[in-house]
Amino acid sequence: MSLLRREEWQHFVRDVDWAFSYVDDEAVYPEWHSGTGKVPREAWLKWEEDYKVTYPEYVATQREKESAAYAVKAALQRSSSFDTLDEGWKSSTKMHFGGIALVEYAAMLGELKMARFGLNGAWRNMATFGQLDELRHSQITTFFGHEFVGKDPQYDWTQKTFHTNCWVPISLRNLFDGMMIAPNVVDLAIELPFTFETGFTNLQFVALSADALQSGDVNFANMISSIQTDEARHSQQGGPTLEILVEHDPVRAQWVIEKSFWGSARAFAALTGPAMDYYTPLEHRKQSYREFMEEWIIDQYIRTIQDYGLKKPWFWDEFMRGLDTWHHALHMGLWFWRPTIWWRPKAGVSKDEREWLREKYPNWEGVYGDKWDVIIDNINANNVEATLPETLPWLCNMCHLPACNPTQSRDGSWRVRDWSLKYDGKTHHFCTNACRQIWWKDRDNVNHETVIDRFLAGQIQPMDVSGILGYMGLTPDVMGDDPDYAAWTKDYVGRSATGLALAPAESEES
Amino acid sequence: MKNPVGPILRMGDEIDKVVAAIEDDNPGKEIEVIDRGSYVRVQAEDRITLTQQTLRAYLGADYAIRSLEAIMSSFNGRIITTSDSITWEKVSARRDALAGRE
Repeated sequence: MSLLRREEWQHFVRDVDWAFSYVDDEAVYPEWHSGTGKVPREAWLKWEEDYKVTYPEYVATQREKESAAYAVKAALQRSSSFDTLDEGWKSSTKMHFGGIALVEYAAMLGELKMARFGLNGAWRNMATFGQLDELRHSQITTFFGHEFVGKDPQYDWTQKTFHTNCWVPISLRNLFDGMMIAPNVVDLAIELPFTFETGFTNLQFVALSADALQSGDVNFANMISSIQTDEARHSQQGGPTLEILVEHDPVRAQWVIEKSFWGSARAFAALTGPAMDYYTPLEHRKQSYREFMEEWIIDQYIRTIQDYGLKKPWFWDEFMRGLDTWHHALHMGLWFWRPTIWWRPKAGVSKDEREWLREKYPNWEGVYGDKWDVIIDNINANNVEATLPETLPWLCNMCHLPACNPTQSRDGSWRVRDWSLKYDGKTHHFCTNACRQIWWKDRDNVNHETVIDRFLAGQIQPMDVSGILGYMGLTPDVMGDDPDYAAWTKDYVGRSATGLALAPAESEES
Repeated sequence: MKNPVGPILRMGDEIDKVVAAIEDDNPGKEIEVIDRGSYVRVQAEDRITLTQQTLRAYLGADYAIRSLEAIMSSFNGRIITTSDSITWEKVSARRDALAGRE
């Protein structure tokens, strides 16, 4: 028996937008969830996905993907490949497992919201597949990470991270609650599938897989690139939604993209930037973070936005300048406050590595070199204590990342700026101009308190580093430390040094 | 390339055959292949198509075009899937066509 072609039957089973007779449309699709806004209700009848899939096709293809991913995992189960991985690369994976596993679960909730409140049957159908995808991602990520818990307790944070008050998951909760949990489905489709999954996840799931494979982590490369095949499909909910919104309310469309683009750019500078430019062993780096950003975001994503009739975001110049500074500053912050994270950040500033950084980022030495030199000389003077934190960084009230972005002054010097704003009797501090402006425009939305806000309010006791580490759930067996100090300091042993902090023993003698 | 569109294929032993099928289905079109190890960008300007029939010539008579999803981590442009073909085209193509520009 020959089967009907999909085109001959799919619309009958998918387009189920019948007229309600016992309830109002508003009762079924309330504005606060469905968010049609200025778009006439009937405009959503035009919503049509270009990436069409039926349920039989979906389950058959997903079965093939799962079989392939788990077959690779099984084949490597008894090999020693994990033990031979570089500690820096392992840190990239710990960061990924902990930072992503339960975000996938939150994304499933977002997809479920679209599957229920999406304003067209085709959209709801696609979101139903999307929620199954995200459930798969949450499961495969936690399962693959769990394998290593017995070898290294930091992998336990695969499942634990989002159940703690560590500053990293608080930052990510703030971003993703705003992107996946709080919005109505129209905004959600543009923030999550369109901006995040069409643009930024490619960076972490496809681009990073290139470094993973080079580093010998076949299993991880296979897992993340398999996940992204689902994203490539369900992210296509964004395009049809955007087309309709641009037609009826382009100002809203532009704002929603800009807000989510900026938040994603900040998070990926912290998550993907250090992994690509510092943790991945030098000989295994395929491209720099900036080059991957140019490939996936600057070229591909911006062309897509403009093809939909929208403009480059207003903060474009600030974003582009940040490509040379944000992730370097965040890397230094992650390294310096290493007891507050669940991976072992590799400093990655040996002479060879610095040469690579200078080649990729011509300003790197002038902005960061002298700071690392002080740290290096302290390590070589056997004064590691001087490189450990005794105070806390200011966390931006918008992105919750350390406010550590240098910008160049007219006299050529680089300074970290504070962008402040007084509102409602309180002074808020931001890491960038765009974080300040987005917070102001979005000030009535959900904003989590930063760890610093909580600290200053007395919620964290005792009010010192040990108190804050306890609050964040970091135990001595898990808290981060550099995996190999000698690897990046031995090049500089014996040089004359300035800027050394006095070692405790020397201070007592003097 | 002005408006590159096309699939980004993840690591696997089918990539070369899929690229060959794309070349067969788009005669006269310059197909650019950028190999980054774990992923390969396959792209051409404005529009390319891939059919199940050609894929079957390379990957076996029972190959279903829906299976391409399992190796397509991403793509550039707008994708249009039917039961026997996939097309990637520049996002603005539909709008341009409606406006009578093409």
